[in-house]
Amino acid sequence: MSDKPARPARAIKLNVLNEPKDSYTGGKSSLCPGCGHDQISNVIISAAWENGIEPHRVAKMSGIGCSSKTPAYYLGQSHGFNTVHGRMPSVTTGAYAINKDLLYIGVSGDGDSASIGIGQLIHAIRRNMDMVYIVENNGVYGLTKGQYSATADIGSKKKKGEPNKTQPIDLCALAINLGCTFVARSFSGSKKQLGSLLKAAMSHKGFALIDVISPCVTFNNNDESMRSYGYVKENEITLHMTDYIPHFNPVEEIEVPEGHFRDIELHDGSTIRLETISAEHDPGNAVAALTALHEAESNLKHVTGLLYFDNTKPSLAEDMGLVDIPLVDVPNEELRPNRETLEKINAALHS
Amino acid sequence: METIANDFTINIATANGTGSQSANLILLQSLFEMGVPVSGKNMFPSNISGLPTWYIVRLSDKGYQAPGNRTHIQVLLNPATWDEDLASLEPGSVVIWNENAKKEMNRDDVISYPVPMSALARKINPKIAKLVTNIIYVGVLAELLGIDQEELEAAVAKQFKGKATAIELNITALGLGRDYFKENLTKSDSYVVEKRVIEKPQFFIEGNEAAALGCIFGGVQMLAWYPITPSSSLAEGIINYIPQLRTDDDGNATCAVIQAEDELAAAGMVLGAGWAGGRGMTATSGPGISLMQEFIGLGYFAEIPSVFWDVNRVGPSTGLPTRTQQSDITLLYEGSHGDTQHIVLIPGTVEECFEFGWRAFDYSERYQTPVFGLSDLDLGMNRWACEGFEYPDQAMDRGKVVRERDIFEAFEEFGRYLDVDGDGIPYRTLPGSGMDPILYRGTGHNPKGVYSEKPDDYFELMQRLKRKIDGARDDLPAPILREEEECEIGIIYLGSMENTIQEIDDILEATGIKVSQCRVRALPLHSGVEEFIRRHETTIVLEINRDGQMYGILRKELPNDLITKVRSVAYSDGVPPRAGIYAKLILETLKEGDN
Repeated sequence: MSDKPARPARAIKLNVLNEPKDSYTGGKSSLCPGCGHDQISNVIISAAWENGIEPHRVAKMSGIGCSSKTPAYYLGQSHGFNTVHGRMPSVTTGAYAINKDLLYIGVSGDGDSASIGIGQLIHAIRRNMDMVYIVENNGVYGLTKGQYSATADIGSKKKKGEPNKTQPIDLCALAINLGCTFVARSFSGSKKQLGSLLKAAMSHKGFALIDVISPCVTFNNNDESMRSYGYVKENEITLHMTDYIPHFNPVEEIEVPEGHFRDIELHDGSTIRLETISAEHDPGNAVAALTALHEAESNLKHVTGLLYFDNTKPSLAEDMGLVDIPLVDVPNEELRPNRETLEKINAALHS
Repeated sequence: METIANDFTINIATANGTGSQSANLILLQSLFEMGVPVSGKNMFPSNISGLPTWYIVRLSDKGYQAPGNRTHIQVLLNPATWDEDLASLEPGSVVIWNENAKKEMNRDDVISYPVPMSALARKINPKIAKLVTNIIYVGVLAELLGIDQEELEAAVAKQFKGKATAIELNITALGLGRDYFKENLTKSDSYVVEKRVIEKPQFFIEGNEAAALGCIFGGVQMLAWYPITPSSSLAEGIINYIPQLRTDDDGNATCAVIQAEDELAAAGMVLGAGWAGGRGMTATSGPGISLMQEFIGLGYFAEIPSVFWDVNRVGPSTGLPTRTQQSDITLLYEGSHGDTQHIVLIPGTVEECFEFGWRAFDYSERYQTPVFGLSDLDLGMNRWACEGFEYPDQAMDRGKVVRERDIFEAFEEFGRYLDVDGDGIPYRTLPGSGMDPILYRGTGHNPKGVYSEKPDDYFELMQRLKRKIDGARDDLPAPILREEEECEIGIIYLGSMENTIQEIDDILEATGIKVSQCRVRALPLHSGVEEFIRRHETTIVLEINRDGQMYGILRKELPNDLITKVRSVAYSDGVPPRAGIYAKLILETLKEGDN
């Protein structure tokens, strides 16, 4: 008989809300094994957990496509709406008007955002609605078996068929030109950078676009494609290393690197810290951001990092001029004017 | 000469954008204030300035509100339509015409009153002569017909609320018109206006404004809209009432307004609002409803409360954007691809525009489904007499929403689409509540809301949806019945045909045919409609469209033994229904049946 003491229960790591990471997971993915989208889902889970967001206060929004299926795979304690193709921004806008206090995380693809729903994306940006808008961008339509999307680069070649001849739409450049208040690009394999950007985006007041290059392992992952794993790993320029400092725990898991860095304060008091690696990029400078995008494009490379940021613009909630509490919580008696009011209206119409 | 009092139609031909609408409303309002039963129809073009406009004023002691079957008094200002307007008049008609329009009076079989309207207007102010010309003809009409100066001045004051200069200028112009007639012309026609005493005081209001007020009293929390004729004034009505009725002392509102980028987005916003637990709505017309089809199907399938007002204009395509029709009936009832069925509320009066304005939200939340208000341009954009609006007789019904955790936990089993009560209406929880978090979807789903392609799951879901909407039939506004004892001929009609039906009925009765009336006020059809058909030997379904859309719905839903009793009379030329045309068609249809 061994009198070895019983092994102590393994400590489960909890976040600031005393929630285990399991509280933020979702169902099993039905995407292709190795899909970049699943990596992004995992980053969403980590970012929400690390940021200490109450899972039920998140609204998961999506359109149609491989990317838009993913809300089933993360944040299982949150309500969500898998809407129609390209129209997630409008549904989110309506939900936001009724409940501005939820954290809206929209996931969409390049078909949703750069083609069928580009108008809705543009107008959501224009309204500066508070939401995180993630584009899982692979340059290809997956569910319909591999047609090029509007973000496919010229000359890019998928497994079957002719090389793409049509000019791509750069969603980051588009967003910067529209005055989007948070514009970033990342790569589904860059877990640390994407996690930092996502956590910052969750704290941003206004519209935060993160265009994530997320290779399609099935239809668009041969080396001639400019969105394959191999191509991106070889050709990625990392513009910034980003690290996020949550306001409730400013030193959590962060290695503050020595040398050049810059803190940007966000609306909720939290801070995003940017470290410049290759150039002195000022995220407040739209022209510099566009230059970086165009230079990267002309060199057939992808530039990642926080490209543009502006915390001076009012968000849609401020513009709508609503009562402080979310409209969903306004009691019925404040929604329907009383009997005397109608009598006064009738009297005024009679006069 | 024998006089004809309060029984004639005035047609005023002007050009759009010349200010004639103000003049016409002053004329209408002053007649209304004299107690004369009167209606006004604005036949305007889809244009900002220059194209022809006609305004039809019908005076009728019998209360007929249709445009009338002929013109008795023609006011001619517009050279562009002069010849056509003149040619269409019956001999003996009265013509008041602008002598300065550089057009000729080429009829000698009409009673002609030439008035140098432009010259008179220039006397007042050459710069705005065009505008003033319109009010001159109101002065002429007032003198010709005997309209009270006092009522005219009150109507002017109402039209130009507090704008002293405009009021003064218009009153001067009215006087010029009056004086010109007095001094230069002699009345040689029979038409006169006589004061009437009204038992219950009434006011004039457009259907769109009434519906807007109804929506406000329905507790609308989000309006998303895209401008389109003839529904814009419904959305703008809500926007105009929010500061007064839905804003707190600090200036913060309890209703969000978003002008969307297009109708698709407006529909998406309405669904988003319903999903989040709020009362969202949009107002549009046929082309907008066409664009919203995809979301309408999502609302039906994912069971999202949402309210859509369709102010019907003439289709198909862009059609006649400023003319009226009842042609979106099937588009709404069976909107979107796949098997669907939607609740449609069809007001026929301004009072019902108000009532269905608030009821639409209750039905939508009760049945967790899109609900449509179907109005039309005639009802929505013309002014109708109203005694006043009645306060909602029911508290707001927010439907089966589980808001508290202990109630949620008392459920033996919870599923978003589980039919707990057997009425097809499931329970729902709201985003942010943390209860039963599911991913709503437009894809097939099981009672728990989880994606499913299983044959049984799909079949059962579609059957439950059918049961749910069918179950609403007798909960929806019942048809309004006016029945004859004989029960020979019944007429089923809907919406703004309410304003013409009595005149049709009287024309038919004059030929010896007594008809019962049944005004349908909602889809799916109330059981009372079937009973009405069963009681009558023959039933005519009367509609303002080409294809007989309501007739088609009846053909599809009635039991076989009743189908042969029902006949269609459908006609539309864009003009609000004139009784003579429909009465003639009904008589022809009945005659065909006899053969």
